[in-house]
Amino acid sequence: MKTGRLFKHENAPMFFVLVLAIIAVYLVELFFVRGSNISKVAFLKPMNIANVLMQISITGMLAISMTLVMISGGIDLSIGQMMCFLGTAMAFMMKNVGWGSWQVAIFGVVLAVLFQLLMGLIISRTKLEPFIVSLGFMSIYKGFTYLITNGREITIEGKFSFLGRSYINLTENFRLGMPVIILVILVIIMYLILKYTKFGRTVYAVGGNESAAYLAGINVKNFKLLLYAINGLFIAIASMSSLSRMGTGNPLMGEGKEIEVIAAVVVGGTALSGGKGNIIGTLIGVLLLGFISNALNILGVAPHWQYIMRGILIIVSVLLMYMSIVNSASVKGNVKGKPVVVNKKTA
Amino acid sequence: MSEELILKMEGISKSFPGVTVFDGFDFDLRRGEIHCICGENGAGKSTLIKMLSGAYSPDRGDIYFDGKKTESMNPHTAMRMGIQTIYQEHNLFPLLNVVENLYAGNQIMKGLVIDEKKMVEKTKEILDYLHASISPFDIVGRLGSGAQKTVEIAKALVQESKVIILDEPTASFSQMEIDHLMGIIKKLAANGLSIIYISHHLEEVFKIAQRVTVIRDGQKVNTYDIKGLTEQKLIHDMVGRDVSLFYQRKKVPIGDVIFEAVNLSGNGVNNISLTVREGEVLGISGMIGSGRTELAELLFGVKKAESGEILIKGKPVRMRTPLSAIKNKMCFITENRQATGLFLRHALDKNIAIASYSQTKTPFAWPREDYKVSKHYIDALNIATPGVYQLAMFLSGGNQQKVVLAKWFATEAGIFIFDEPTRGIDVGAKEEIYKIIVNLLEQKKAVIMISSDMPELIAMSDRIMVMRNGTLVAEVQKDDISEENILKHSIGANETLGGNER
Repeated sequence: MKTGRLFKHENAPMFFVLVLAIIAVYLVELFFVRGSNISKVAFLKPMNIANVLMQISITGMLAISMTLVMISGGIDLSIGQMMCFLGTAMAFMMKNVGWGSWQVAIFGVVLAVLFQLLMGLIISRTKLEPFIVSLGFMSIYKGFTYLITNGREITIEGKFSFLGRSYINLTENFRLGMPVIILVILVIIMYLILKYTKFGRTVYAVGGNESAAYLAGINVKNFKLLLYAINGLFIAIASMSSLSRMGTGNPLMGEGKEIEVIAAVVVGGTALSGGKGNIIGTLIGVLLLGFISNALNILGVAPHWQYIMRGILIIVSVLLMYMSIVNSASVKGNVKGKPVVVNKKTA
Repeated sequence: MSEELILKMEGISKSFPGVTVFDGFDFDLRRGEIHCICGENGAGKSTLIKMLSGAYSPDRGDIYFDGKKTESMNPHTAMRMGIQTIYQEHNLFPLLNVVENLYAGNQIMKGLVIDEKKMVEKTKEILDYLHASISPFDIVGRLGSGAQKTVEIAKALVQESKVIILDEPTASFSQMEIDHLMGIIKKLAANGLSIIYISHHLEEVFKIAQRVTVIRDGQKVNTYDIKGLTEQKLIHDMVGRDVSLFYQRKKVPIGDVIFEAVNLSGNGVNNISLTVREGEVLGISGMIGSGRTELAELLFGVKKAESGEILIKGKPVRMRTPLSAIKNKMCFITENRQATGLFLRHALDKNIAIASYSQTKTPFAWPREDYKVSKHYIDALNIATPGVYQLAMFLSGGNQQKVVLAKWFATEAGIFIFDEPTRGIDVGAKEEIYKIIVNLLEQKKAVIMISSDMPELIAMSDRIMVMRNGTLVAEVQKDDISEENILKHSIGANETLGGNER
């Protein structure tokens, strides 16, 4: 019974895909790259795993708040460019104005939340599509970034290193970077919030049926505004971690992040139409894309091909998930939590 | 008008899954005739139009047009034969001008290019003929609704239609626009066009009709010449149901006034006052589009009132959003449960718990509590579901409606606004909903009930208010409640029939 329920969990399909992918990559490396010599396989070595976790941590932070926004029926394409803008603006303040870590951190959070509030106001008070509005902001942030940097990096000379460059050594070969620890904490907090608070339930309600949510006493407009503000907070944290880790405000530090993040969230089971999704699913999506990317490097696949492989992976995994939903919806019977299909069309 | 028939329907039957709408229906239309069709909400008027315009095909029976039997009509062939339907909602391209609308898909060509000049000329000709003060180059979306209706009629003329069907053409019209339209219709008929005119407004019917056909529950009751027909006779034919169809409701003692609206205006509703008492059902009747749902939206704070006041237990309450209403123990069961009542892809516990979150101060929503509350109401309301975690979309209509009720029971609401509480629900489940409502009354709760289902409204209500064009036209007390009496007020018959007019 317990294993049965495990199979039916909504994250089960993607979790199995993740496990299968890891096994497959391991076997491919073992037999085709390392000539069946187990000790040479790099993929599952602790050092490599720690490395992957570090690489996915920033994407993971952004994916958490993107999950919230997308469950509520919205989307934000501006997060990557906002990261570039925030990162370089903070570096600028450190280098040119001489602000310290705390001042810069507060500055970053305030800036991010204010801009997200502005975007949230436009999205929640008008009928404009979040897709288009955030596309506009994406371009605005890119402009700001180049105004600040003139296209050049701004180094922060080793300041602000706590967030990105401190580690906890678990074993000799396995150390967790601070961004990974922050990610784990944020995942746990958001998981609990989504599951056990009215706020969390409201996120789903607004995405599930906006008019029904409004009639059930939810102030939908202000709620959406709040979600974008929270999104700003998460982007600020991600930008700080990234800036701290690289030690320089690079105008390209968040380039393309929005695609990576949205891909991970969607692979993790969040519906673009809203009302469905969860944080653990998103985490699985982030891990899957992170491990595959790392595997392609280890297996020596040329970068150009990596893009193609990643695209195929996203489409195939979403397709798999879709098929598993269709299958589970057509299961008949009175198993708890399992729909009895009355009419296949409505399923 | 000649005796020659342009259109004839013989033995038409049409059923939809679960319901027979038409059974052996006959109808005929003469050349140059204005023929009105009257019937209550749900009598089958729209289905009739859809069969004539080719949107539905009848299961059995024949349609003859111009003496020839028609084979498998679809909207395109119906239009080509010369049957043009003008629906209640405008069917025009709002961003194009009048000429472009009239000739959309039907342009006059000069070789390979469009003959703009000729189209403009012809448009002018037709607009003059219709006495319309519209320029051929006006953008249609910027015209008023009367002018847009004229453009639609002009379009029918461009296509050389022989029969024009007008469905509730005067909705949201001013009196001047109505008079203008009546003039146009009479002129068209005098020139040999046949008109089928459908209206809720009796004065319009008596103004222009030459013959009237009354339909009720998909049956033709009768066709009359307008000469010699009285309003009383017409209304009698539109209702006239068997009394045994009515649900027998238990009597409940009525208490103090709990909810009161004073001179409420806004959202298309005009200066409405009403009161509801504990243990009472206030029925609200009226034709579709009379402003019933709009009134409910004002009462529940979905839309803001422009003026007027709402008092709950004698205290004024500001209804700014539904949240203010919910905090004052009100609830609103909307007419479209799937669109505005349920979270179809969410489980029942999530559906039931969501509205009660505003009732407590804690930020937490424990799944175990949600489960307990949901389980309680699923049992109490006898909702047929394999479990609390079933998705709402997999339940039947009646059970879905009960889930919506459970959501409001969980908020411990005391004032219930029902809009079409049993729409799309089978007979057995209907009776269960009625029992639930009576049960609410026994707990001293107050109910406002909007319904198009006359037997239901009459059986359940202690008082019925009748709405027409956004205003309250009558309040009928229990003893005077009859289908005829209510219908008379909703369609604006003369007051010669008696009854207590306000």
